[in-house]
Amino acid sequence: MSTAVAIHEEAHVPQPTQVGKPGGFLRRTNFLTALISGVVTAGVFWIVTDKITTAVAGAGATNSMALPSGLNINITMMYIGWVIGFMAGIGAFAGPIRWFLGHDLTHADAEYMAGKDMGREKFWKFTTDHKVVGIQYLVVTLILFGFGGLLAMLIRTELGATWTEVFNPNFYNSIIGTHGIVMVIAMIIVISGPIGNFIVPIMCGARDMAFPRLNALSIWLLIAAVPPLVSNLLMGGIRDGWTVYQPLADQAPIGMIGYQICIITFAFSTGIASVNLITTIVRMRAAGMTWSRTPILVYGILGSSIMGLVWFPMYQYSQILALSDRTLLTSFFVPASGGSVWLYENLFWLLGHPEVYVIVIPATAGMLEYLPVFVRKPLFSYRLAVAGIFGVVGLSAVVWVHHMYMTGWAPQSNYPFMLSTEMISIPFSFLVLVVLGTMWRGKPWKRLPMMAVYAVVWNKVIGGITGVFLSDTPVDQYMHGSMFVVAHFHYMLMGAGLFGAMGVTAYFFPKMIGRYLDEFWGSVGFWTAFAGFQVTFMSMFVAGLQGMPRRVLQFDSLFNVSNWISTIGAYIIGIGMLIFLYAIIESWRNGILAPDNPWGGKTLENFTTTPVPHENFPVLPVVTSGPYDFGTPDPYELADDAIMQQTEGAEKVSAQS
Amino acid sequence: MSDTTTNSSVARTLSATTGEPVEVTGARDKLGVWMIIVSCTTGTIALLVSYAYLWSLNVNGAWAPTPGHANWAPVWPFWVIFTVMFIATLIMWNGYRGLRNGKVGGMKSAALLSSLLLLAAFVGQIVQIATFPFGPADGGYASAALWLAIANAIWLFMAVFLATAIFNRTRAGRVTPENPSHARLVAMFLTYLCVAAFLGCVFTTVMQDSPNTNSPPFGTFSQ
Repeated sequence: MSTAVAIHEEAHVPQPTQVGKPGGFLRRTNFLTALISGVVTAGVFWIVTDKITTAVAGAGATNSMALPSGLNINITMMYIGWVIGFMAGIGAFAGPIRWFLGHDLTHADAEYMAGKDMGREKFWKFTTDHKVVGIQYLVVTLILFGFGGLLAMLIRTELGATWTEVFNPNFYNSIIGTHGIVMVIAMIIVISGPIGNFIVPIMCGARDMAFPRLNALSIWLLIAAVPPLVSNLLMGGIRDGWTVYQPLADQAPIGMIGYQICIITFAFSTGIASVNLITTIVRMRAAGMTWSRTPILVYGILGSSIMGLVWFPMYQYSQILALSDRTLLTSFFVPASGGSVWLYENLFWLLGHPEVYVIVIPATAGMLEYLPVFVRKPLFSYRLAVAGIFGVVGLSAVVWVHHMYMTGWAPQSNYPFMLSTEMISIPFSFLVLVVLGTMWRGKPWKRLPMMAVYAVVWNKVIGGITGVFLSDTPVDQYMHGSMFVVAHFHYMLMGAGLFGAMGVTAYFFPKMIGRYLDEFWGSVGFWTAFAGFQVTFMSMFVAGLQGMPRRVLQFDSLFNVSNWISTIGAYIIGIGMLIFLYAIIESWRNGILAPDNPWGGKTLENFTTTPVPHENFPVLPVVTSGPYDFGTPDPYELADDAIMQQTEGAEKVSAQS
Repeated sequence: MSDTTTNSSVARTLSATTGEPVEVTGARDKLGVWMIIVSCTTGTIALLVSYAYLWSLNVNGAWAPTPGHANWAPVWPFWVIFTVMFIATLIMWNGYRGLRNGKVGGMKSAALLSSLLLLAAFVGQIVQIATFPFGPADGGYASAALWLAIANAIWLFMAVFLATAIFNRTRAGRVTPENPSHARLVAMFLTYLCVAAFLGCVFTTVMQDSPNTNSPPFGTFSQ
């Protein structure tokens, strides 16, 4: 794809005065100092808030803006203190303060912050190198999946044990809600985090992301957001599902505040990451990498980032206003005092539905990225793939109301939104067609990433078709709130999103870690999980069609068999995922060393060494051809021509004789 | 952030951190700020939609502040605060224009004056919030107007930080005629804040009495 030449001549760059050792304050900060700072600041915020609210209440203040006292505001301020303290303790504020004072980073400062020559310590610090951030995202994602998966096992245990009640109903509802939101967060970051940060800048031919410090900020904000969410289980839990509809959320125990603080913080993290990815892709592509030579994964990450950037603030503000209803006693969503629950649902679903595409588009684009490598053919209809991605991005803005058919909000809008929702299956179908077209008459190289393509196409077709049913208003009136819906969105999010992410991770694992993912154990884990997935969710479709509602602890014995089967399937998924995790850990430590170009790809990350050097490329590359120029001209056409010529030749010889 | 070096026949200003020409890093920063503005705009739209939505529905007839605090917030403080922000933004743009013509002193004065005006607007915003003739619990209008004001206060706090930073950076020789991009970026962001504040002013001025004077009871959904 490229020839490497020096773009920038070596130039002496006069430096600002270096004060002290490179890195300055950041030399003393790490994960431990962040934890200590976070806990201490949280405690201080709690005590100070308690004093103030008590004093205001004690003084008998009656002015209209008197702060409401009580646990809600104390807990809220404690969590805010945690996030601020944690970020201060990791060193996130050092950069803005230096900038404010006019003290810019020297090159040595920047190199220190990027973790150059630092060893493993860099993974515990506010490190700006995109490769370190990518690995940090990978580990955080695995931890979130582990936690969310454990909760899924608990849910299925409860539903499978039809003869007894394993958990009390409140705790059961809490693990449902926590499982949902943990998995949504993990799925949002599973490609854009590890692959977007580690691979995309290299694939674009850049030395780093556009804003390296914002990159570190995004991962550490994510890490700061997790403890408030997890702690909800100790404080009454999230009993209202991951959507936390109003006014139930307003009446929920204080654990709800952990959810709200988590989402507000996570939205900042996602927004920052989106700004960074978009700017990197638009401004930092290598010389010669025109839009028609840009790899399809880059388009996928770009589309996903655009959706996250535009829609996440809606979700964020829905939680800010909900938190305000709890703590300041405002009434955005409290009908008794002028609020509207429909307002919440609109704000929530304006991100809530595009989030599905934020998850699925990068996974699909990742598969399209490596598919030509494994069939050694050009990507079929590259432009159709790009149109598919941006068709989904565009239509994602006009589909959210299909989640509200049954709420009574603006019934006259149901049919236009039914149409727009069904329309979005068209650009999605483009992407499936590109997969099929690329595989057509190909001889796939049967390795784990390629196997994932088959699995995802199967899951996506089932998830997509059932989605078309659910987008249909009359059908949704019957299916709404049933296990059929649960099975459908698991086919999309897990079946297409997570299994796709497993394939994408297997493909990029050698470049990121320097070793191949163990093919045998990786495949055993993958297919075990896949088989378990079919058992679990096919059976759940049956339960849904029979009429079993979601989010219930006790149900009619009519649904026993399908729930037993689903629970057995879920345990099989768990076993498969544990095997896949074993493959990752074992390969990370002892896997087969990968060469510079692990799969014979043509994109830029394959034109640098493995492991990737600190500055990615010795000299910046120049792109001179497309990313999928495998076998051009088409070997099959050549073969056909040759056969035709031979046949014609034989006929001539035969005629002459 | 930058120093000038004569590597070839043309003098180029390079970023000290990355060694790239400052036009390159400036273009990158500009796109980044545009993206942040897009994201912030969505947040502002969320607040404005919330205001308009509650105004139009008048759920349970509880849009207007409760009878004990029957006054709407006076609109003139919103407009005064907006006007001060607008002037501060014009001054910042003017300073930037002067900087491009080599007037470093003008940029310093403009950034200082702009930050002082923004500080005054911030204080004014806090005073306005503290003297609203209603409490946050007094219905839909109270909630929506209060949050428009709180959001503006948060933006103004940030604006003071940014404008003061430009003053400091110009003094420290980081914002220069050769590398003025940070002053431009801050002026761009202040412009966005003015637009957001203006829309808030329009909403709080025009949308007071709900058009839905006979709203049906929605129920309270209380436990």
